[in-house]
Amino acid sequence: MNVPSEHLLVLAAGLFAIGVLGFLIRRNVIIVLMCIELMLNAANLTFLAASRQHSTAQVVNLDGAVFSIFVILVAACEAAVGLALIIALFRLKQTVESDALSEMKG
Amino acid sequence: MAEILFYVLSAIALASAAGVVLAKSPMMSVLSLLGSFFCLAVIYLLAGFQFLAAAQILVYAGAILVLFLFVIMLLNLGDMGAVAERSNALLEGTAAKLGAVLALGIGIVGLVAASRAAFRPVEVEPGKGLDDLNALALQLFGRYSLPFEAASILLLSTMVAVIALAKRQRKTDRGGGKA
Amino acid sequence: MSGTWLLWFIPLLPLFGAAACGLIHFATLAARKKDPSASGPSALAPLVACGAMLGALGLSIAAFKQLAGLEVEHRVIESAVWPWIHVGSLHLDISMVVDPLSAVMLLVVTGIGFLIHVYSAGYMKGDPGYAKFFAYLNLFVFSMLMLVLSSSLIGLFVGWEGVGLCSYLLIGFWYEKGWPAEAGQKAFIFNRVGDASFLIGSFILIKLFGTLDLSDVNAAVAGVAADPSKAWWLTVAALCLFGGCTGKSAQIPLFTWLPDAMAGPTPVSALIHAATMVTAGVYLVVRLNPVFAFDPMVLTVIGTIGAFTALIGGTSAIFQRDIKKVLAYSTVSQLGYMFLGLGSGAFAAAIFHLVTHAFFKGLLFLGAGSVIHGMHDEQDMHKMGGLRRHMPKTFVTFLAGAAALSGLPLLSGYFSKDEILAHTFAHGGFYYVLWGIGLFTAAVTAFYTWRMVALTFFGKERFDHHHVHPHESPVVMWAPLAVLAVLSVFGGLLGLPPVFHVVHQLEHWLAPVTEPGRALLEAHGGVHELSHAVEWALLGLGAVIALVFAHLGFRRYVKGTESDDNVQRTQPALADFLVGAWKIDAQYYAKIVYPSKLVAFVTAVIVDQFAIDGLVNGAGGLATATGDRLKLMVDGSLKTYALWIGAGAVLLALLWMFV
Repeated sequence: MNVPSEHLLVLAAGLFAIGVLGFLIRRNVIIVLMCIELMLNAANLTFLAASRQHSTAQVVNLDGAVFSIFVILVAACEAAVGLALIIALFRLKQTVESDALSEMKG
Repeated sequence: MAEILFYVLSAIALASAAGVVLAKSPMMSVLSLLGSFFCLAVIYLLAGFQFLAAAQILVYAGAILVLFLFVIMLLNLGDMGAVAERSNALLEGTAAKLGAVLALGIGIVGLVAASRAAFRPVEVEPGKGLDDLNALALQLFGRYSLPFEAASILLLSTMVAVIALAKRQRKTDRGGGKA
Repeated sequence: MSGTWLLWFIPLLPLFGAAACGLIHFATLAARKKDPSASGPSALAPLVACGAMLGALGLSIAAFKQLAGLEVEHRVIESAVWPWIHVGSLHLDISMVVDPLSAVMLLVVTGIGFLIHVYSAGYMKGDPGYAKFFAYLNLFVFSMLMLVLSSSLIGLFVGWEGVGLCSYLLIGFWYEKGWPAEAGQKAFIFNRVGDASFLIGSFILIKLFGTLDLSDVNAAVAGVAADPSKAWWLTVAALCLFGGCTGKSAQIPLFTWLPDAMAGPTPVSALIHAATMVTAGVYLVVRLNPVFAFDPMVLTVIGTIGAFTALIGGTSAIFQRDIKKVLAYSTVSQLGYMFLGLGSGAFAAAIFHLVTHAFFKGLLFLGAGSVIHGMHDEQDMHKMGGLRRHMPKTFVTFLAGAAALSGLPLLSGYFSKDEILAHTFAHGGFYYVLWGIGLFTAAVTAFYTWRMVALTFFGKERFDHHHVHPHESPVVMWAPLAVLAVLSVFGGLLGLPPVFHVVHQLEHWLAPVTEPGRALLEAHGGVHELSHAVEWALLGLGAVIALVFAHLGFRRYVKGTESDDNVQRTQPALADFLVGAWKIDAQYYAKIVYPSKLVAFVTAVIVDQFAIDGLVNGAGGLATATGDRLKLMVDGSLKTYALWIGAGAVLLALLWMFV
């Protein structure tokens, strides 16, 4: 594949923007969590693009790839904890609407 | 050939990402997300990251999304029954409208940033596998051994946290009968 | 008295007494909380306080006896040394030292102090602060004894400040009346001015001598004075120390607090504002006599200020109607005499007058207190008259004190005052002027003293017979009067003039202390002897003046108050001028007090309340208002928070991209 790295970044920006959009406009907390996964994937893509861009024909730069692995790991943890919280929330409030969670205000 | 495949997959990925946001049913969102992840996995492969493509499919598609599905099924959200969103209008409320504007802004900022980046042409020859497992392992257990250990602690604490969250909930269920 | 450590107990006994009386006062307060009329254990206070004073007096007499038993050259007893401050090259050690001078002061302070404590037991009976009064009084005696006994100027200063504090506390003892509290503050502030000067003088002494040990300083003066560059500084130090004396001893320009200090209970006026504290300045000058004597200019300044203070104090007393005010101005005047004596280089004569003045002025104040007590707190002499029939014991003793004060021949005041005037006369030159002022003041003194006697004890009874029933005071009050009366009459025996061909006991006794100063004076040619003929003439002149003006004052006022009314009618300006003590106090108020109060008011209202409080309150209001607006952002909605986070992230991204 001979696509310039800029195009990978444009794709990442698009995915990230869609993730932000969903995060901000959806009230269903599960979908909000999915949008976070989407944003994390966009970040992953950026890391990989950087890794690819910084590799030469002889030496491969793997920093980006390693960070991607860490991001995947964090994503997994986040999903696990997030979903556990959702279950707890559901048991407490019988809902998964983020608007129901407005007790912490000034 | 590979380039065309990239652009096509990119379009599908973006479309299914939009589907995640726009789908009415959470179940549809999960399936759209799955599609998006698959497209990304292929793009990783095209870009030369074979191991990460595999990890993407195994961890995301195989584990995380299944977890999502489990939860949705557990809470019985699939049919948008009792726990459905109160209104189907997505841009309801000032916060949502401002959020849309903000997302647009972020997209524009990303595009501007990408277009401003003065990258030299990629020197890696197309089709070459970049993330050789051997080299990756050397990196992980060499230079990145400390973050690696930190990651293991993160995983452990996540495990404990999830168990604690679930367990405490059960206790109040039994004792207080409040939920 | 074997161990010299016992010297420490001379001041410490009154200190313990003060602590015990303080505890008794708290116990009384506790008892009064349950039953407002209860007196609690306050009756114990005079016993404790007088016991402490008696102990101190006994130790003082023992110290005096031991001192008298020593060779003349070795008449110093020093107690164990307490190393107080050791910093770098500065070493401040405190010890108690008895030498001839401090022995005299010791006997005066503990002796008269004891008598006044006994008197107070009667005078203050029934006062709600009975025990507190004795606590303060004992604390005062402790401070005064520290002042007198301390081996170092810094220890002396501790006592100096201590007596100032006790003076403040006791002047304002009846603070709930209002004006005594103000009088106390006035005394305190005036003393503060003097004390600042005292401190500056002490600092210069440290710089010059590297020590504040009094005997070391005295010994080193001759050496320092020989160096012209240092001698100049020594003159400044002496003037600064004398500035401290003008505050404590009520000299020009800081004397106006003393008449106001009469707001305190009368025993306080007798002990602090006549007999002891106000003479601290005289003591200091004699104690450091070489420092003052090395420069004739300093002595001339002291003598001039003393003479004019004597004049202003004496003339101000003439038309006072308040019996205590007469005595207060008289005290200012007599202190002026003492400083006139010091200025003439007559250190022993000044101490002689200090001692006799302590006798007769203490007596007069206590007598006045007895009169006030018998007249139900009436102090206006125009409302007295004819009291000799009602309080004969007070009358007789008061007569002795008045005779001594006015310098009637052969009484104590006659000898001490004439000795000072003789020394002034002997000095010659400019001192003739000072002598003239002193002589005029002596005449004035005799006049106002007998005016006071006539108005108080003779003539018609001008008080309201229905409400006031004059009565003689109890024995605890008149017994001290009797003792002091005997001392006032025979005190002159301590220092008979040379023409009598007997040894001047006090001068002889003090010779070891005054010798260094005398030697320095002699170097300047400042020591003069008078021929016997001139001395007889001066003694005769003093006697005639005292008798004539005493007679005048008595004759004019024995009939009643018409004479005062005449002056008020014909010379209102003069009477006003003299009653107002030459308007000096009024000038202070106009030039310093009111402008300061104005500045204070402006600072308090405009700067503090408006500007500073405005800033502080404004800051608080701004924070509250901002918080009220900002809390709308925190609406509890997850989306809003995410929105803010996202907006911030975009902002940062733009910043990195374009800046």
